Amino acid sequence: MLQQAKRSKRGTWTIASSSLLILSMVLTACGGSNGKNADPSPSGGSAPASPSASASASPSDSTPAEKVKIEFWAQKFEDTTDAWFKKWVAEFNKSQDRVEIKLTIVPGDAWDQKMKAAQAAGKAPEIRTINYGNVANAAKTGQIMALNDLMDPAAFDDLYDNIRDFVTVGDKYYAYPKLVEPSAVLYYRKDLFQEAGLDPEKPPTTWAELLDDAKKLTKKGVFGLATAQTAPDLGWSSWGMQYNAAGHLALTDDWSKADINNDAYKSVFEFYQNAYQSGAMPKQALAGYADIKPFGEGKVAMEVCGSWAIGQLRNTYKNMLDKVGVAPMVSIDGDQTKTTATLGGWTLAVDGKAQHPKEAASFISYLLAGDPAIMIDFFKTAQFSKFSPRKSVDEAMKSDPDASKDAWRAMIAEKVIPYAKAEPIYPWDISFALSTGIESAMKGTSVDKAIAKAEKDINDFIEKNKLAGTNPKA
Amino acid sequence: MDMRNKNFRQDNGTAYLLLAPIFILLTIFVVIPFVYALRVSFYDWSFYQDSVFVGFRNFRLVLTDDLFLESVWVGLKFALMVMPAMLVLSFLFANVIKRLGPRFSGFVKTSVYIPTIISGIVASVIFVFIFDYTGGLANYLIGLFGAEPKAWLADVATALPSVAAPAIWLGFGLTTLIMLAGLHDIPESYYEAADLEGAGTWTKMVHITIPLMRNVILYLLVTGFTAQISQFELSLVMTNGGPLSVTTTPNLYILNHFRNDVMVGNSIAASLLLFVVLGSISAIIFRILNSEKAVDG
Repeated sequence: MLQQAKRSKRGTWTIASSSLLILSMVLTACGGSNGKNADPSPSGGSAPASPSASASASPSDSTPAEKVKIEFWAQKFEDTTDAWFKKWVAEFNKSQDRVEIKLTIVPGDAWDQKMKAAQAAGKAPEIRTINYGNVANAAKTGQIMALNDLMDPAAFDDLYDNIRDFVTVGDKYYAYPKLVEPSAVLYYRKDLFQEAGLDPEKPPTTWAELLDDAKKLTKKGVFGLATAQTAPDLGWSSWGMQYNAAGHLALTDDWSKADINNDAYKSVFEFYQNAYQSGAMPKQALAGYADIKPFGEGKVAMEVCGSWAIGQLRNTYKNMLDKVGVAPMVSIDGDQTKTTATLGGWTLAVDGKAQHPKEAASFISYLLAGDPAIMIDFFKTAQFSKFSPRKSVDEAMKSDPDASKDAWRAMIAEKVIPYAKAEPIYPWDISFALSTGIESAMKGTSVDKAIAKAEKDINDFIEKNKLAGTNPKA
Repeated sequence: MDMRNKNFRQDNGTAYLLLAPIFILLTIFVVIPFVYALRVSFYDWSFYQDSVFVGFRNFRLVLTDDLFLESVWVGLKFALMVMPAMLVLSFLFANVIKRLGPRFSGFVKTSVYIPTIISGIVASVIFVFIFDYTGGLANYLIGLFGAEPKAWLADVATALPSVAAPAIWLGFGLTTLIMLAGLHDIPESYYEAADLEGAGTWTKMVHITIPLMRNVILYLLVTGFTAQISQFELSLVMTNGGPLSVTTTPNLYILNHFRNDVMVGNSIAASLLLFVVLGSISAIIFRILNSEKAVDG
């Protein structure tokens, strides 16, 4: 689940959470399977979360009616998101006396260990966060439950069609979306554009222009361009460019073989190779792809990053804001109606072995599919760097003064999201084999060789894992 | 006769009683999990659906995965970088400490031990800063000599040695102290006798110190080799296994599969295979360097 871990690689806590991972592994190793659920905070990071979430409801309530207690694990996101989860869990617990939600916030890098250990012990939380890319496989393996009979069908009608499709497997809905965020948007420094003799109101629109501008913008102490440059980052951040050039991703629709030995994929490999070897990119990543720190600190003139970086810029690099321009990611031929980004994002789902599916789903309905004000509160705290999957929320947001004035939000909502596509649901190994090929091309392997190797690796993987014909969505 | 038998029984009872805790703990924490892991490795193991028996398929998948074989090779290369450097350095350093005065040597011993109590994660973070491309100490230092900044952790050639550096730094202290204990264990009289025969420093080291340190070195080699091949948190934090897969150690490979795969059988099969690899390497080291009872009296 690198896919899952990837979103968490934000800000400076990546490293801190890695240490939590080790700590939690030590704890799981020593503690065996006891107490994993009884104590919601074995992995440190969640410790501050639990008192506020649980204290608000339980001690004051002495009603004899037994409340149904439901575990809810949310992956650690930005602090604002964690606070939003805590606030609305407490509100929900106050709003009725049948169900009590116990929130545990789990650091991204510790998530898989903790979840697998809990699943193995039969103590998985009844409600969990899950990203779009994992929904179909989790549904296929029975890890999560269909929500059709548990939630009001109208809630699903409220979703945009393309996003409803992200949570649909067969004719069932397996999760309820919380947000979408495009994986690639271009951030650039208007002041540096001016200095380099470029028009700050005309960001590049084609791949070639981007590379050209990047070279012009590179000077001592400032790199022209930062984008993904390691295989784990390239694996997911290049999906938008793959769609852009080829109109499809690395596999044929029936998952029977790799579909990358073509000119479109060659141009993707060449783009990264040229960008890296031109000297406009740092030879060693200054930060992970999901982290816009190098741009915020003024070390790069243009950076490709997801829409979430808007939140990071607005919260952490406020003094930089008036010099920053935001544009859709460049397109291979300048046609901005082609896909330039995939839509990542998060949903809530009910565990396949949940004891109280009705009650669990009632919380999801309340939080994600209920009063639009709850979700607007979320998008506000996220500085409008994330986008709503629900029509009614967008509708309500139109009358919100902050939201309607936000030019960056409008640009992404109008020029990026309508053309964006879903993330692939094929196993991560496929994306990783491809991105390892891209990285090796950047490090000097010829594009033809790199593609041939990636193609062979993908086809081997398909054959060994009998992947052909198993696409749950085909 | 009766008496002796009775004593026997009494002794046996006490012995079993004393052995019981470790036997029970080993059974619970080692034997049962191991047998269970063996069983699970033959299944497509899922927590939500019935597990399916797949025979040796998981093992075949792992053994035919180039990445796994590569990762074992990476682990070997890593251990071969770390162990000799660490042993030589700590041997020399232990000799220096041995000759220091008692007060100063106490200070030095404490100082070299400090890295040992620092966690691998903290060390990796420190070294990530050192190897930072634009603001790191390493590039600052080579910059003083007019060299271009190097992509220490992103260059295929330098990534593994860069990850090995903190491993040496972390293991150096403990190794030195064990070496020092070994040195102190060699009777002074041997050196005095050698002095009388007119032996030089080099001769004394080759013919007295090193042969008598054999068991200490053997211990350090076996435990160190196993530990270094199993190393994964350094490359996890510093490089995430990259660039390409040149720092993906076997345990990082297993962790990636564990986090990644829908079914768990694959990572368990890989773990068991790694167990075989580590066991064989330890056996080879034992074979080459026979442990002998020390000949001093």
